[in-house]
Amino acid sequence: MPSLFKLQNALRDVSLGGDASALAADIIGDGFAPEQRLNVHRNNTTILLSEALGATYSVVKKLVGDEFFEAVARLFVRAQPPRSPCLFEYGEGFGDFLATLPAASDLPYLSDVARLEWMWNAAFHAADATPLTSADLAPVAPEAYGDLILSPHPSLRLISSAFPIKEIWDVNQCSADPEATVNLDEGPQALALLRPKASVEMIELSPAGFVLANQLSEGAPLEDAFFAAQSTAPDFDPASTLAVLISVGAFQSYTLRP
Amino acid sequence: MDHTAHTKRSLVSSIPARAGIGLKAQHYQEILDTQPDIGWLEVHSENYMCAGGPTQTWLSAMRERFPISLHGVGLSLGSAGPLDSSHLKRLVDLERRVEPGQVSEHLSWSIADGVYLNDLIALPYTEEALEVFSTHVLQMQDALKRRVLIENPSSYLRYEHSVIAEPEFLLGVVNKSDCAILLDVNNVFVSAMNHGFDATAYLDQIPADLIGEIHLGGHSQVKIEGRVLRIDDHGSKVCDEVWALYERVIDRCGPKPTLIEWDSNVPELSVLLDEAAKADHILARAAVREEVHHAVAV
Repeated sequence: MPSLFKLQNALRDVSLGGDASALAADIIGDGFAPEQRLNVHRNNTTILLSEALGATYSVVKKLVGDEFFEAVARLFVRAQPPRSPCLFEYGEGFGDFLATLPAASDLPYLSDVARLEWMWNAAFHAADATPLTSADLAPVAPEAYGDLILSPHPSLRLISSAFPIKEIWDVNQCSADPEATVNLDEGPQALALLRPKASVEMIELSPAGFVLANQLSEGAPLEDAFFAAQSTAPDFDPASTLAVLISVGAFQSYTLRP
Repeated sequence: MDHTAHTKRSLVSSIPARAGIGLKAQHYQEILDTQPDIGWLEVHSENYMCAGGPTQTWLSAMRERFPISLHGVGLSLGSAGPLDSSHLKRLVDLERRVEPGQVSEHLSWSIADGVYLNDLIALPYTEEALEVFSTHVLQMQDALKRRVLIENPSSYLRYEHSVIAEPEFLLGVVNKSDCAILLDVNNVFVSAMNHGFDATAYLDQIPADLIGEIHLGGHSQVKIEGRVLRIDDHGSKVCDEVWALYERVIDRCGPKPTLIEWDSNVPELSVLLDEAAKADHILARAAVREEVHHAVAV
């Protein structure tokens, strides 16, 4: 008689696509082959987790079609099954996984679109917080601006891609014009995603603006972040990008470098 | 250890003995706009464990208007090894925020060695599993400081080394942990058909005062080499056989909070409300019968 631990590990392996024959002896057939009964559980795990991925990655699903998505999702579910019962947390590695699949190489933007969808999902479920406004910064003396450290809003996510992923995302929403197309030659794109209130917003950033946002979100003081951004593009105006980031609600509080 | 303190809370008063429906995201707006006459709502706890965002805002809006029952699908009380303490903590936090009328989980397991299978799998009914399961129910109740409901599963397989019948196992858990029962009539029917036991005998074994809530849902049938296996997919209306079993339970036990579950191929809200009205009708008749009985007895 197998221990509960051994039995459950064996059934887990079967549900994730493993061979069922070793476990069959422990299952009462009663008119069915034990493997057929075990197959119900393999299907439950595979199909329901693939559906959960399909809900998070609806644009990827639309881009590749249901059949291809199902095949890829099945591979992913078996390679990286969830470690948490909260399925809104499931599938973080899907974009990286797609990047390793030769079958998906015809769509070079696919993995970046998946990463964008993951960030949207993360921003949607992130903690709520009242965004920092420029008025909140009024007490800071101008000579101390360089030492400002802005802590990012919990929902802030940053992504850059060699492809126009926001346009790809836009035209694949339910509400989009079915005739709309995307010119892939539009080139690289950098985005900030955040959810200051109820809905997730996407803000396009210049390459230097992306460096600035990245530096700030990692806790760099303003002076260091400005310097890093300007060194990638000498004519970049960090102050106007900062003003945009603050106005859209990208930060939640500030401290001063000691 | 004192496990009796939390049982003082009444089983019956927490959610009304009326029909409720499972809350689905596609119905949020319509429910708030039309305020349908339903007794209560049930949600899957795990869907609302996020740090923030609109799903929580929706749930708060629902909570202001309806009693809520929190139905867990991820604690995996039947898994060997310790419970996931961080998940239990998230459940406690959600319970504090929502102040639900009931909190329930399943007589099954979903996690093996840290991997979540998103499936409710039957246990081998052994002394070992009874000990593991009951200990986990006690931990859950101690963390929540309340009595919880445990739901009988739909099952597709049984194990050669099972030695206890399912209703006895369930009552054994009640005995060891002082939990109560969420009686899923459709699950009893599905398992009875899949394994060839008598559904009415099973249902009759569950004492009325232990039933804190009832579930009704639809199931599907798959044919494997000419033989039918019933699959509990909550994707259709409650079938006639299950309605008949339900009426029998209510006849015996009196009105109990009754949920209409619908989780796949979710239809228009009106379809769920029609199913709920059907259950409400049966409950209302049973309530009248009780009143008459009391009046005559006085």
